[in-house]
Amino acid sequence: MYGSWANRLLLVPATVWLLVMLVLPLLVVIIFSFGERGTAGGYVPAFTLEQYANLSARFTAFKNTLLLAPTGTFLCLLVAYPLAYFLAVKVHPKWKTLLLVMIIVPFWTSILIRTYAWIFILGGQGLPKVLGFLGIEGVRLINTPTAVLIGIVYAYLPLMVFPVYVSLEKLDKRLLEAASDLGSSPIEAFRNVTLPLSIPGVATGCMLVFILLMGEFLIPALLGGGKVFFIGNALVDLFLQSRNWAYGSAVAATLVIIMLVTVSIYMKLVVRNQQ
Amino acid sequence: MSKKNDQPISRKKFMQELRRYERGSVTRRHFLGVTGLGVATAVMGAAVPGLLPRKSWAATDIGDRVILATWPNYHDPANFEKFTEMTGAHVQVNVFGSNEEMLAKLQAGGSGWDVFVPTNYTITTYVGEDLIEPLELSKINNFEASAFDPRFSDAGTVNGTVYAVPKNWGTTGYVVNTKHTGGKQLTTWKEFWDITKTDFTGRTMVHDYQLTTIGNALKYFGYSFNSVDPNELADAEKLLIEVKPHLYAINSDYQPPLRNGDAWMSMCWTGDGKQLNTDMPEMQYVLGKEGGEIWSDYYAVPKSAPHRDAGYALIDFLLDPAVNAKEVLAHGYPVADSRTNELLPKELLEDPILYPAQELLDALEFGAAATLTDPNRAELLARFKSA
Amino acid sequence: MLSADTDAVVSFRNVTKRYGDVTAAAHLDLDVTAGEFLSFLGPSGCGKTTSLRMIAGFDQPSEGEVFLEGQRVNGVPAYRRPVNMVFQHYALFPHLNIEENVAYGLKQRAPKPPSKEIEMRVGEMLELVQLSGFNKRRIWEMSGGQQQRVALARALINKPKVLLLDEPLAALDRKLRREMQIELQNLQRNVGITFVLVTHDQEEALSMSDRVCIMREGKIVQIGSPLDLYDRPINRYVADFVGKSNFFDGAIDRIDTTAVNVKLDCGLMIKANTGPDLESFESGDPVCISVRPEQVILARKEEQLPADCGVKIKARVMNRIFLGEHTEYLLRDEKLGEFLVLSPRQNERSERPFDKDEVVLAAWSRDTALVLSSE
Ligand SMILES: Nc1ncnc2c1ncn2[C@@H]1O[C@H](COP(=O)(O)OP(=O)(O)OP(=O)(O)O)[C@@H](O)[C@H]1O
Ligand SMILES: [Mg+2]
Repeated sequence: MYGSWANRLLLVPATVWLLVMLVLPLLVVIIFSFGERGTAGGYVPAFTLEQYANLSARFTAFKNTLLLAPTGTFLCLLVAYPLAYFLAVKVHPKWKTLLLVMIIVPFWTSILIRTYAWIFILGGQGLPKVLGFLGIEGVRLINTPTAVLIGIVYAYLPLMVFPVYVSLEKLDKRLLEAASDLGSSPIEAFRNVTLPLSIPGVATGCMLVFILLMGEFLIPALLGGGKVFFIGNALVDLFLQSRNWAYGSAVAATLVIIMLVTVSIYMKLVVRNQQ
Repeated sequence: MSKKNDQPISRKKFMQELRRYERGSVTRRHFLGVTGLGVATAVMGAAVPGLLPRKSWAATDIGDRVILATWPNYHDPANFEKFTEMTGAHVQVNVFGSNEEMLAKLQAGGSGWDVFVPTNYTITTYVGEDLIEPLELSKINNFEASAFDPRFSDAGTVNGTVYAVPKNWGTTGYVVNTKHTGGKQLTTWKEFWDITKTDFTGRTMVHDYQLTTIGNALKYFGYSFNSVDPNELADAEKLLIEVKPHLYAINSDYQPPLRNGDAWMSMCWTGDGKQLNTDMPEMQYVLGKEGGEIWSDYYAVPKSAPHRDAGYALIDFLLDPAVNAKEVLAHGYPVADSRTNELLPKELLEDPILYPAQELLDALEFGAAATLTDPNRAELLARFKSA
Repeated sequence: MLSADTDAVVSFRNVTKRYGDVTAAAHLDLDVTAGEFLSFLGPSGCGKTTSLRMIAGFDQPSEGEVFLEGQRVNGVPAYRRPVNMVFQHYALFPHLNIEENVAYGLKQRAPKPPSKEIEMRVGEMLELVQLSGFNKRRIWEMSGGQQQRVALARALINKPKVLLLDEPLAALDRKLRREMQIELQNLQRNVGITFVLVTHDQEEALSMSDRVCIMREGKIVQIGSPLDLYDRPINRYVADFVGKSNFFDGAIDRIDTTAVNVKLDCGLMIKANTGPDLESFESGDPVCISVRPEQVILARKEEQLPADCGVKIKARVMNRIFLGEHTEYLLRDEKLGEFLVLSPRQNERSERPFDKDEVVLAAWSRDTALVLSSE
């Protein structure tokens, strides 16, 4: 009995943390989502489903997000996997730490400053100019969905590289010898052994990137020139510009629900595949 | 030998850095706040005074700091230094992107500001929401109502009470790079939108700001800048959606792409027009013949101001004509204060960008409070941006 | 150009493998006969695994040639060689179940056999290693011994020309190891596949193999049947490694027609007449006498000893250990020092066992003492 009390006591900090950091804000959002906008903006208490009924007004933003988040995640994986593979398998151990640090270092500076660098690179005086010298004229990159995707891949790369790297790093090299011994060429061994065994890392990375991408607003704002509109941008505008807190809360709550549903379907799929 | 060389980073150095950063990349309104940079610079600014040793002679009764919420590129940093020297209070600057954002911050409470810079059409809303206090004019000796052009100071007075004193005014027109028009001078909003759909496709920028972007689209049809009429707004929306694929960006940070040649034309405020024109004479600042916006910014004190006295001291200081003249030279916007104008160079007072021709000015409208807070206009902009 | 023995499944011709400065294997010459069970035996780091990996194709020789069934295979990668390996820690695929692990090799074949056939062969293999019915189990649900069998089944399903086993039993406990040793031997006879095993456990090597290849510092010291190695070691290293032996250092004194006379360092003169290369010795050569503990006869009285004993010594019993049907004595002679004797119980039946501190007679026949070069 004594022990069980002590155990419960130990749970208190975690519970409080969860309450304060997760449940409470979510609760506020849910309560607000049933309210109304004041004439000068803000929130007026009420109980109405009007905000939810009006969700279709942000349909395009939801659609853009649900299209670009998976695409971004996939592209991120396409770039991150070879990089992680190279780091985990090909690089001599004595260089590994250095290279890993080199991947992290840029992330010590603010995402904003790094994205500004991309504004320059993708702008008319950057890459398109270089391509112009090479005879490829008239390429527009900045303020296009392509630019947004490039920015996303760049910004979320480490989040994808690290889980994949870890799963590849702990892969027992003898398994590859075993595969080779049993007749697998290096490519077959990669497909039959390395790839399936790195799936947990890939799943983690994709999940992290996808969830964060669902709320992304900075990169579309900066590299999409305001023309690429994610649900995150819709929320920023609703809270900071039109100050429609009630509607903003309804959109936010819907985003959370969409996220929960997607993530749990995804988890089910991944877990089933692991069996 | 500098007397400040024992400090980790001198205030002067910091302000130079900050200013350089702002000038190169960011202009007025919207953008900063949305990206969070405004908050970032505010935090940096807040960190600096703490690093400075407090001078004993400066310990006056107004305290050691004052917090100012304002727009980027909107002050002369040397003036702030002088204020600190005189009073011992360091000026912490919070830069913001839009009036909506300022309003959102004050509505949410706990802004911590002592002074902020609202635009004319927001003041009644602040008063209505009980967010700002009537000014104690006895503490602002440099505000001499008679010296100000009433057109630019009226909005500070609500129901006979002075809630805000004028800072400067300006217009919203557009800037166009005439290199790309074949020497043709543009004069109307109609031309702005039409050329965007044709010769300037992919080269035009509009503000990420419903008031100006919708207002200037309304002007295409000759409607009022402030219209909230559903039919008129529907016309404006149709135009905006039609133009969207031809836009370079929907973004209030228009100076960098105009300077590097990626964009050729953008909606533009007076000061930016002046700055661009000074550096690149081919950049023409145009006020549409159909009209558009004229506006005036004010100083006001939030109800919750934590360093109230210092706030008043700062407003008073900045309205000192000598100080204000220096401000004008830094930000490039006209002021309505005749005492200040007397101190300004003649060329500046005759500059057609700052002081447009009377018939152009006559066509302009002040933004209305209802325009800013109209939910339909907000939704229209959201539809436009997500289209 | 060197050529391979056509009967041999695996041949090494002057094979050397270097890793930077380290020579892991030096000038190896070896022929593995079809159907035999051959073991590499030697201390840690002597190059056993390296030799095995060169057969498998994971490593390529720095010099010399490797042949598989008469075909030169230098440069041929592992996945193109008709050999399979059982890895020391099994290296089973954790993401596949037992059945899929075993089927792996078949599925990698081009063309891939029909799934019916794969299923059948997997069934056969699991039956062979006594794991029928475990098809759908996961790797981590299997005991060490069971995993061992899965690894065997996985390696055998492709009917390799040679099955390579790198210390396959090292991770098992003693009892299980004994069982698996017997099972492996039976399996080898049943399937008729050539086995090449690496071990540093001499008992394992001697009990299972048809031939044992003793290695030392990257070189092959001696290859022979376990009996050969035990009875006719070519030098002290092999005698020491294979079974227990007593060594007495000395030098050749004189070689006459009936025996070699060795003068031991302690001054004793000992006659012996066997050894791998008696003819090559000359007077003064440093040698040692090797006497297996079971070849020493103990007695209380002179007349109990056989007549042809070349050496008779009085020694004190220092220690006695009962080992079931044998008793092991540690004796001490003033000049020879300590030596071991293994005495069968039946010899002692007539009398009681020798006691500690008892002074007894120890003797051995001059045929059983080996004269070995003392390297
Ligand atoms: N990849 C390698 N790189 C460098 N040196 C190696 C490599 N593999 C083996 N060696 C060296 O070659 C020598 C022989 O190694 P090997 O693995 O063949 O020994 P072993 O007889 O199998 O020993 P053990 O019984 O400990 O497994 C050792 O000195 C070892 O350090
Ligand atoms: Mg080994």
